Amino acid sequence: MTKKNQELIERIVEGAKKGQISRRDFMNYSAAAGLTVAGATGLWTKQAKAAPQAGGTFRWGIHDGNTGDTHDPGTYVTRTMIFLAHTHRSYLTMINGDGSLGPDLADSWEANEEASQWTFTLNSNASFHSGRPVTANDVVASFNHHRGDASTSAAKALLSDVTDITADGENTVVFSLSGGNADLPWLMTDYHFAICPANDDGTIDWKSGDGSGPYAIDSGEFGVQFSLTKHEGWHGEGAWFDKVEILTLNDPNARQTALVTGDVDAVSQVDVKTMALLERDPNIQVFNIPSAGAITLPMHCDTAPFDNVDVRNALKLSINRDEVIEKIMYGAATKGNDFHHSPAQPYWPDDIPQRDYDPDQAKSLLQKAGMENLTVNLSTADSVTAGAVDMAVLYAEHAKAAGITINVVREPNDGYYSDVWLVKPWTLVSWGARPTPDVMYTLAYKNDAAWNESRWQNERFNELLLQAKAELDESLRAEMYREMAMLARDDGGTVIPFFNNFVYGARANVGTPDELAASWESDGARAASRWWFES
Amino acid sequence: MGDLTRLVLKRLGYGLLTLLVVSILIFFAVELLPGDVAEAVLGQGATPETVQAMRDQLGLDRPAVIRYLEWLGGAVTGDFGVSAVSGDPVMRVIGARFVNTLFLAAYAAVIAVPFAIFLGVLVALLRNSVFDRVANVMTLTSISSPEFFLGYILILYLAVKLPLFPAIASLSGDMSFGDLLHRAFLPALTLVLVVTAHMMRMTRAAIINLLASPYIEMARLKGVKPWRVIVKHALPNAWAPIINVVALNLAYLITGVVLVEVVFVYPGIGQALVDAVAKRDFPVVQAASLIFAATFILLNLAADVGAILTNPRLRHPK
Amino acid sequence: MSAFVFGYYAFLILASVILAYVEWRKWFMMVFSLTLISFVLGIVGGTPALRAVATFAIVLAVAAMVSYAFKEFLIQLAKPNLAKELRTAPLTAAFGMFVIFTYAIAGIFAPVIAPHGEAEVIAGAFAAPDANMLLGADQLGRDIFSRIIYGARNSVGLALVATLGAFILGALAGLLAAVKGGWFDTFMGRVADVIMSIPSLIFALLMLSILGTATWVIVFVVAIIYSPRVFRLTRAVAGNIVVMDYIEAAKLRGEGDWYLIRREILPNSMAPLIAEFGLEFCFVFLLIAGLSFLGLGLQPPTADWGSMVRENATLISFGDVTPLIPAAAIALLTVSVNFVVDWMLYRSSGLKEQ
Repeated sequence: MTKKNQELIERIVEGAKKGQISRRDFMNYSAAAGLTVAGATGLWTKQAKAAPQAGGTFRWGIHDGNTGDTHDPGTYVTRTMIFLAHTHRSYLTMINGDGSLGPDLADSWEANEEASQWTFTLNSNASFHSGRPVTANDVVASFNHHRGDASTSAAKALLSDVTDITADGENTVVFSLSGGNADLPWLMTDYHFAICPANDDGTIDWKSGDGSGPYAIDSGEFGVQFSLTKHEGWHGEGAWFDKVEILTLNDPNARQTALVTGDVDAVSQVDVKTMALLERDPNIQVFNIPSAGAITLPMHCDTAPFDNVDVRNALKLSINRDEVIEKIMYGAATKGNDFHHSPAQPYWPDDIPQRDYDPDQAKSLLQKAGMENLTVNLSTADSVTAGAVDMAVLYAEHAKAAGITINVVREPNDGYYSDVWLVKPWTLVSWGARPTPDVMYTLAYKNDAAWNESRWQNERFNELLLQAKAELDESLRAEMYREMAMLARDDGGTVIPFFNNFVYGARANVGTPDELAASWESDGARAASRWWFES
Repeated sequence: MGDLTRLVLKRLGYGLLTLLVVSILIFFAVELLPGDVAEAVLGQGATPETVQAMRDQLGLDRPAVIRYLEWLGGAVTGDFGVSAVSGDPVMRVIGARFVNTLFLAAYAAVIAVPFAIFLGVLVALLRNSVFDRVANVMTLTSISSPEFFLGYILILYLAVKLPLFPAIASLSGDMSFGDLLHRAFLPALTLVLVVTAHMMRMTRAAIINLLASPYIEMARLKGVKPWRVIVKHALPNAWAPIINVVALNLAYLITGVVLVEVVFVYPGIGQALVDAVAKRDFPVVQAASLIFAATFILLNLAADVGAILTNPRLRHPK
Repeated sequence: MSAFVFGYYAFLILASVILAYVEWRKWFMMVFSLTLISFVLGIVGGTPALRAVATFAIVLAVAAMVSYAFKEFLIQLAKPNLAKELRTAPLTAAFGMFVIFTYAIAGIFAPVIAPHGEAEVIAGAFAAPDANMLLGADQLGRDIFSRIIYGARNSVGLALVATLGAFILGALAGLLAAVKGGWFDTFMGRVADVIMSIPSLIFALLMLSILGTATWVIVFVVAIIYSPRVFRLTRAVAGNIVVMDYIEAAKLRGEGDWYLIRREILPNSMAPLIAEFGLEFCFVFLLIAGLSFLGLGLQPPTADWGSMVRENATLISFGDVTPLIPAAAIALLTVSVNFVVDWMLYRSSGLKEQ
């Protein structure tokens, strides 16, 4: 080993001790410096892994909040509310840092053989901030909030195959389904399914903001900020901070400068444009986590010219995904392959050939369809995701090589999801990360789904979807998802250029676990209970 | 002065009429916007069923006119209703934020108005000198970039490179007045830069416009000093347009600061209004718009009264 | 001491001496002041400061020479009457006219001048300037220089039409209201109040969400938003004039309203209106930029300066100058327009002193 490398390793170890670099970076740098993986792992565990420390006030800037937010879990929509929900309320299950499913309020769960009935046993130590224990009744009422004709919950569709939810004693809840669903415990992590205290009449009290999460709300103003204090009787592990302050910082520059000046300790989203510049600041750590969130461009498969599969595939071939990822996401994305199943989700089929930019093949497909010089409109808005309009413009440039004219239509930010999405024949949409392929496909690709954004009808796909859902054998299930992926890729109406990474930041003195959950930004929205301050 | 009182009363009456018209316009504009509160609240998560359920709960299926009259009935008795989204009383949603907005506007105005008028008089006096040019170029440049960009530059130099002021101006209840001034300094400075040029240039223009008048000529021939000519002779007659522009800019400080609020994370009413429009939360949009309108009408009234008081010819119309 | 410093001072002192000898006092004072300033700054800041001062002075001198030449050029071209007026123009006004002229040429002949297409992707993101790209590339790898040129056409054209619209609507209504008085005056005043009392961004948001975002709608909505400001100003200025005795006299002569407006009131209220025009023009510019903030501006990939600032605004926090380029384009135009306006204002005020 050269002297230079020796020095480099010492510097890396020093950085690791001070918590300036993550485990992942540590491994990369060590390898670059000529250490073996085993050697690096040994060094890391010996030198760097400090035990979490308790104390401090965690100030957390979150990128999306609105004055019109409420504590109603049925209408959670902004990131501020979703992150707040994971801080002051609890869910039945949670996604761990390594991507596995772990317990939150529910200690354990089991299904019958058809996976059509699930029994959840609650943690008997769990209590609301008011001091009352969390019982099965609260869980039943919380889920009924999303069911029934009068429900206004956005999560209603997720529970459409749940026929009954009953309390069996104080600590056991039974879900009965109309068909098998092996993914139900995963579904319980959906951000809408926060558990709230039940009223006597079977409704829930969501207005008070009471919950059973790690921190209790002291005061707050929607769209501005919330102050929380540690809930001493919390049932989980972690919650190192004494207090948490959640600030809504909608402006990307405000988030960035607040982090640089130390006005906040962590932010939920870093503008990818300035990510590389921010990483140079030694006081800042930037996390770049591949996720299952995706950008999709659904075409209405029942509307000309998109009713022709050759046209759809020609359009899929006319986007240069690499350039889009480089210029729009600055590399912070995983290349998409036109099926909505990300490597960050279970059962991902890794042997499907990647579709790449091929204007010549696109041209010949169009010739076959008799649609040379195709002209189509693509609707988008900046509010969909940062750089959405730019991306559409770039796509239009790529498609020119295939003789396709894409007119980019910038729609008003305001009302995009009510007036453009599902309405205009070709749009650009941003999807949050869903825990399993089943949840994603059921929401947006099933023939009768309300959000079947591409209006795609494929018998075999829908048949497989139902089969896979009830299949408890993992390898059979994986095989079905592979076939579905091929169908979506070659027949479906959705261009999926990439799965975006979550890019967020924290001050260097914030300690984080080795692995960060990929379900939301900021460690699965649970930074407040999983992170800590290093002295 | 009896005439003036009558004029003020008359204008206040007109003001109420204006408010009524504004409220009608806003109501129907919000109605005409594509989508309604149910769709907006549910956003990407909306399905036809849930949207219908929410419409039923909020009573959105009743005719628009009836809903408007109901709201109006409440409003004239001082009850602005509850937010369609959260169910909280509207005044609780926007009350504190309006106070914050007023504070920021007052902060900026206290600096900007005297500064702009002083500078305006000065450049009128030193017209066509290097100082005049430089002052013009500086103030014009400051209003040539979008407000949020100006804010970014101030943050870069006064918060990041030189950590003199906080980058975000989030307020909390238990701050002393000095703290408040310190926290809100950067947004206030941004606003000062935004409004100064307009007021300064109008002062300069109004004064220069009078300098060729015979009575100024006369004063000058008498050998009155140039600054005295301007301050004693020209300025009093230039007040009408100056006051007008000042009123306009004061109104802007209260109603037009959405972008500054966003950039500095200042909890003012502008952000609340934009959020409410996005959610189609009619009662909040309406209340905020009416507050803006009332502010504007009062400032205008003040400007007109000021103009009349400074021009005897207007005080006694023939 | 470097050759640069030596040469610099030698040149300045020589120039001062020559100017003093031929008794061009004004120029001598300027050059010699520059020499003194250079001495002080050179001692404090060293060669870099000196270089900065020199660059600044050269830029200023070149600007002044170009302006002077352009003024003479215009005088040669213009008819005798106009030429006489032009001779009174100060250098700043000439500079303003030159910039406006350049922008107009750039806008009109954009497709010929711009080396690349408006939407053409030719390089990597934020590529540095080179022989091919004068100002480097933007976030998609499009040539910034070409987009600035096209932006001149789109932004300036749009803002100009919208401002003119606002002025025609507002000034006409204001003059009529001042002359007619009575219920018409009151009514127009109320209409203006209603429009103005709704914050402009909210008003635009509502109108454009309802009417769509076609270009003519943007022009129309912006004109409507700004016309009451012009109306109020015109009304206030004209209000001071209609109470003058000469108007009274004209009325007694039996002149019609239109005559009064055209011959008596308008010429006397021109100065503040012109001053206002320069400013409103730049406010309109910024409002259109603000609209794109709400996703309501021009359709992509059309280049407009406001959006170009907004797209990369966050980079400024890291000292990257990309967003400053379009911002500087806007600032230069605003300053230029107002330089010209200042001169016209000065002329119409009837002040003869210079």
